[in-house]
Amino acid sequence: MTALVAAPLGAVNYAEPWWAQLIKAFLIFAIGFSLVPLVLLYERKLLGRFQNRPGPNRVGVYGSMQPLADIGKLLFKEQFKPRGAIGWLFVAAPIISMVAALATMPLIPFSNRPQDIFGTPVGLYGLDSEIGLLIFFAFSAIGSYGILLGGWSSVSKYSFLGAMRGAAQLISYEAAQGLALLGVVMTTGSLSLSAIVDQQGDQHVWFLVPQIVGAFIFFVATLAEINRTPFDLLEADSELVGGFMTEYGGGRFALYYVAEYVHLIVAGAMFSTLFLGGWHIPFWQGAPGFIDPFVVLAKTLVVVSVIIWIRATLPRLRYDQLMSFGWKILLPLATLNALVTALFVVAPWS
Amino acid sequence: MDEILFFVAGIAAVVAAAGTVFLRNPFYAVLSLVVHLLSLSLLFLLLYAPFVAVVQVMVYVGAVMVLYVFVNAYVGGGTEPQGGGAPTLRAFSYAIGLTLIATIGIAILGSGLQVIDGSGPENVRASFGSPSEIGELLLTKFLLPFEAASFLLLVAAIGAVVLARRRRGALPGEERMVAALDLLAPTGTGSMREGVGAINPTPGGFSSRITPSQGPSSPPGEHDGGGDDDGDAR
Repeated sequence: MTALVAAPLGAVNYAEPWWAQLIKAFLIFAIGFSLVPLVLLYERKLLGRFQNRPGPNRVGVYGSMQPLADIGKLLFKEQFKPRGAIGWLFVAAPIISMVAALATMPLIPFSNRPQDIFGTPVGLYGLDSEIGLLIFFAFSAIGSYGILLGGWSSVSKYSFLGAMRGAAQLISYEAAQGLALLGVVMTTGSLSLSAIVDQQGDQHVWFLVPQIVGAFIFFVATLAEINRTPFDLLEADSELVGGFMTEYGGGRFALYYVAEYVHLIVAGAMFSTLFLGGWHIPFWQGAPGFIDPFVVLAKTLVVVSVIIWIRATLPRLRYDQLMSFGWKILLPLATLNALVTALFVVAPWS
Repeated sequence: MDEILFFVAGIAAVVAAAGTVFLRNPFYAVLSLVVHLLSLSLLFLLLYAPFVAVVQVMVYVGAVMVLYVFVNAYVGGGTEPQGGGAPTLRAFSYAIGLTLIATIGIAILGSGLQVIDGSGPENVRASFGSPSEIGELLLTKFLLPFEAASFLLLVAAIGAVVLARRRRGALPGEERMVAALDLLAPTGTGSMREGVGAINPTPGGFSSRITPSQGPSSPPGEHDGGGDDDGDAR
């Protein structure tokens, strides 16, 4: 085994030689990036239908070229910088956001069986680590620096307020998000994402059913983590113009924008992995292996649709509501959920 | 590959640690500390400890340092006090610093340098540094330090709550249970009921209702009893 990074990362299971890993890394990057315009178009279309209007329908067939036109426009715009801004931080912040968002993408397992592609066994995941769930949290922690530094370095009151809100919000909801998953982790006995999916296959019931409270808390906290309505206080247009990205335009704004959608996709995929059984199809045990990635993508699409639905339905929370909801309701509920699950796991009657 | 990673992470850790101490701008000092912690986690990764590495990023970079950055962005406007401290305080801090350096020096010279000549352990178990193994050690061999540390954290958390309450000085209306129902009927929200004057939006206090006759501005002719407001008017 010629792993690219040798022995100390031994907890990582690589099924394939190093060149296959390189190809896989590029593929994950490419798939992640090509999913973004699709989801962007899907969101705008769906929002349009929710609001009784057609949504984008001018560029391309059925408006299909609209996201590409948007991204192209942003990339060819002038790169400007406010006069007082702190240059290198201003440039680095969107990149941090983007990298941290994309880095969580390889953690999603699309199938547990290494698929035989041209005679080479290839696992359909970027990284099947023993501590995959923790790596996910670590990168989302790093991602919060992109928002924080972007808002701080652009030296504007709106940006600064948005960034400070963001820091407080991300810290508060990260706690609830992590605690909500303790139930899943305790039942599985592992932090590996593929082990969690396998457990859901073995026990013949998705974690959504026994862990319904945990799923709810995780879903709500994830909404806050990825700055979606009703928790989009970081960029509350009606109060803060554009929040932490007020001073950004052109390509740097596009980076933030794309990072947001990568977060959305990863959140959908993570929820379907943790609570919706990953690649398992209900009532069909012997599904062929090549279906698995599409099952995961379909479940991701369902979760993403629900998130868009929520955006079309709910108004934005107020800041103190956000804080008291996170600390007074979600966190105690998550703790209670972990306690009750722990009781059931060690219970003598089960 | 390991050697390259080690030197990159090691140099970054040392440089960032020096930057934390020597940078004048407190915000950059904190950022430098973040870089230092990230490189430390890379070093942990090289030491067969992926769990510790990731937890380091989660806890220190993700939670503790975000708070530092938060506070620095709010109050640290680059106007750090120069010099500072009475002579006795300065002497005391120098003494503490020297003691720390001496202690760490003894520790490094006593144990760490012997390992440099070696090439590390021959075969490390696959489960080494895994979450399950660390958890088992924490609950068996290191149970007492583990519980002591958690107790210390609990004391710190409660202390922070007590201090924060005392400084602000709780209003009489605020001495109440943490109620989930507060969310459903928040005060001072600019809601429809406040807009029509049914609730007095006093921040921090309970929602107290305004009797229509109380206000001098309201003409008696308009006192037609706004629906539900008349029932429990004070």
